[in-house]
Amino acid sequence: MSRLRKLKSVLGLAGIILVAILASPQASDGSNIFLQAGNLTDVLRQMSVIGIIALAMTYVILTAGIDLSVGSILAFATCVTGMIVTRPAAPGGRFTQAALAVGIAMAASALLGAANGAVISVFRIQPFIVTLASMIGVRGLAKWLTRNENIDIGFGSDAAASFANFVNQKAVVVGTFAALAVIFWIILDRTVFGRYVRAIGDNEKAGRYSGLPIRSVKIAVYTLSGLLTGIAGVIYAAENHQGNPNAGIAYELDAIAAVVIGGTSLMGGSGSIAGTIVGTLIIGVLTNILRLRNVDSNVEMMVKAVIIVLAVAIQKNEKAE
Amino acid sequence: MSCEPLILLEGVNKRYDGAKALADASFSVAEGEVHALIGENGAGKSTLSKIIAGAVIPDSASVRWRGEPVRIESPIAAQHLGIGIVFQELDLFPNLSIAENIVIGNVRMERRQWVNRKELGAFCQTYLEQAGLSESPWTRVRDLPIAHMQLVAIARALSFEARLILMDEPTSSLPDDAVERLFALIRRLRAGGVSIVYVSHKMKEIFEIADRITVLRDGATIGTRTASETNIDEIIAMMVGRELAAEYGAPADAYRETILSAQNITTRKLRNVSFELHRGEILGVAGLVGAGRSELGAALFGLDRIVSGSFRLEGSEIRPHSPSAAIGLGIGLLPEDRKLQGLMMQMSVLENSTMAVLGRLQRWGFLSRRKEAGLSAPVHRGMSLKAASNGAPVSSLSGGNQQKVLLAKWLLTDPRVLFLDDPTRGIDIGAKRDIYRIVRELAGQGKGILFVSSELPELLQCCHRILVMRDGHNMGIVDARAATQEQIMTLATSEVTAA
Repeated sequence: MSRLRKLKSVLGLAGIILVAILASPQASDGSNIFLQAGNLTDVLRQMSVIGIIALAMTYVILTAGIDLSVGSILAFATCVTGMIVTRPAAPGGRFTQAALAVGIAMAASALLGAANGAVISVFRIQPFIVTLASMIGVRGLAKWLTRNENIDIGFGSDAAASFANFVNQKAVVVGTFAALAVIFWIILDRTVFGRYVRAIGDNEKAGRYSGLPIRSVKIAVYTLSGLLTGIAGVIYAAENHQGNPNAGIAYELDAIAAVVIGGTSLMGGSGSIAGTIVGTLIIGVLTNILRLRNVDSNVEMMVKAVIIVLAVAIQKNEKAE
Repeated sequence: MSCEPLILLEGVNKRYDGAKALADASFSVAEGEVHALIGENGAGKSTLSKIIAGAVIPDSASVRWRGEPVRIESPIAAQHLGIGIVFQELDLFPNLSIAENIVIGNVRMERRQWVNRKELGAFCQTYLEQAGLSESPWTRVRDLPIAHMQLVAIARALSFEARLILMDEPTSSLPDDAVERLFALIRRLRAGGVSIVYVSHKMKEIFEIADRITVLRDGATIGTRTASETNIDEIIAMMVGRELAAEYGAPADAYRETILSAQNITTRKLRNVSFELHRGEILGVAGLVGAGRSELGAALFGLDRIVSGSFRLEGSEIRPHSPSAAIGLGIGLLPEDRKLQGLMMQMSVLENSTMAVLGRLQRWGFLSRRKEAGLSAPVHRGMSLKAASNGAPVSSLSGGNQQKVLLAKWLLTDPRVLFLDDPTRGIDIGAKRDIYRIVRELAGQGKGILFVSSELPELLQCCHRILVMRDGHNMGIVDARAATQEQIMTLATSEVTAA
């Protein structure tokens, strides 16, 4: 795994884990709380939503783009999921209803992503501006759909609640993230599409001179970003037992942070899914240990800020050598 | 003219990435003269003028300003001495007003923290009048016609009382009447004792405006002549008079059948260009910068819209509207600027060379690494590509090897027609030789090659025929075996007659 060794962020992750072990409070039986299986899987579950978004964000950033609309699309997806699963029993039973909710939430989110990509590549407007606009617009759409209200999925034994209980299992959440991570890793590393993603971010002009399908690659990348955000939205809705039009505020920034900490360059062309997974884990472990130590959540934000800058600075220095 | 030159540069050396741009060049300008600096593309004109402007630091040089030894280490230092610059790519801030453009970077005005609008306007007005610009100083520069932008740059130079103004290709984007007005301004400045360094390759203009002419070639100063005592032929001979490297031998005979024909191609930059390219033929494309050589490639490769006229490839008319369409038709284009238009610098040698053929190396969208390596290996070997490994980033390669990677990319597409835009620019002699050999082999396989170069000996040596361009026109096609550099240079600098 020479590729992993090249990832300077792995060192950072090892460091953070070490700090977490040392700083972790002790349980009553003297064991290390951070290292308890329950806690470690909690870390994985807590970072899965951001992690899933960050996977597709990696592709977007590799093409030298950015997607600021993911937080709003996530909220939209939670609302769509909530609205469908809470409908009075649909024909075809619970399973069909749940499948419809997931399917429609994913498809609609992917469509929003595709719209981002189409506007960016056809009108050649900067991704920052296009996705900033849809960040505002889609948030409005989610609020309008729900008339500004949360859609409670509830905790009973009806179709909606049992859907949420199923999706909300640790194994399902973490398993989804893991499966998507593997798929996105393979696509980037092994397919023509993955090669195009990196090539376009590295030098779009040279890509044009090489006859690459720049427009369709860009549309695809933003569509994937919408799709994965939709999946994250379904999970979010299940975890919180509600569709929430105010969900996911500032998630785009957390996802971008994970990607950047993982060593992907905002200039495009260089980066990896492995890096993004490591970046997500760094944020996850950090958040976890700060919470175990009952650190004020405002202090938590300040610490995160320092870590982001530090992580990127370290990688930059090593590159210069 | 006083006997003490205003500026005297001697022993100027400058290398870029190991390639020499200037080798022991010298140059001097007297007070109140217009001194033309001329040379072929790559002769070192731009480097020398940037050194005078403080924009490029020479590796070694002795510079005297009015007899005093000085070092020009930055554009600010140049400005302090009294050197103003009007660059080829106008370095103005398009969104700022004329007045702001004039005072920006002006040491005299920037010392103050607060700018009084009225005072600023009055300050600029003087220089705008001198430069012959009638617009309000508060007009935004991007709203001006390009000729007036140049006048703003001149006014800026005047505003810090420049004694020497460098003009790099000042007329390249000007209409004729603006050129006349510019010349009138230059004469007024000269009468006021200002010296002008006029960098250009337009012979007619140089003889019209210059007092003296200095010719550069291959980074060295060939000589300085008084304009009234020389003529165009002597200057051209000085520009091109280099020994031919005759070691490559003439190319094999081309086939008779036409592979590509252009009929009256007109685009944004081309005017009724027609030619025929035969199978197995290397057709050189000569001309100075801006003559439309690259634009010919852009039209063929679907980058520029063809307004009228048509290309025929093996007899059937083609209308490539994008590079990918052109590639599909069997056309390849090695671009002029390999870093900007050719290479993905962070990607590997292998990834770069297979960039245009990934479609053939996949199944269900998955790349076959084995096929990829297998397909490219013989091509890389064939061009003696030197890289640490296939996985090495292309940025770690020398310029010559980078160019080979790009050439490999096009060879893998197996094109019918290949447009090579200055493929040997800035690469070492060994790599050049390899590229000549590869081009020869490609022609031998029956492909049609268009070979753009700024080096005439190279064209005369490598090509069957040479198409000479000027201002988007085909000025004539000469037989490479019979033609001389002087003949080509005369065509490339002669006036376009209305056809």
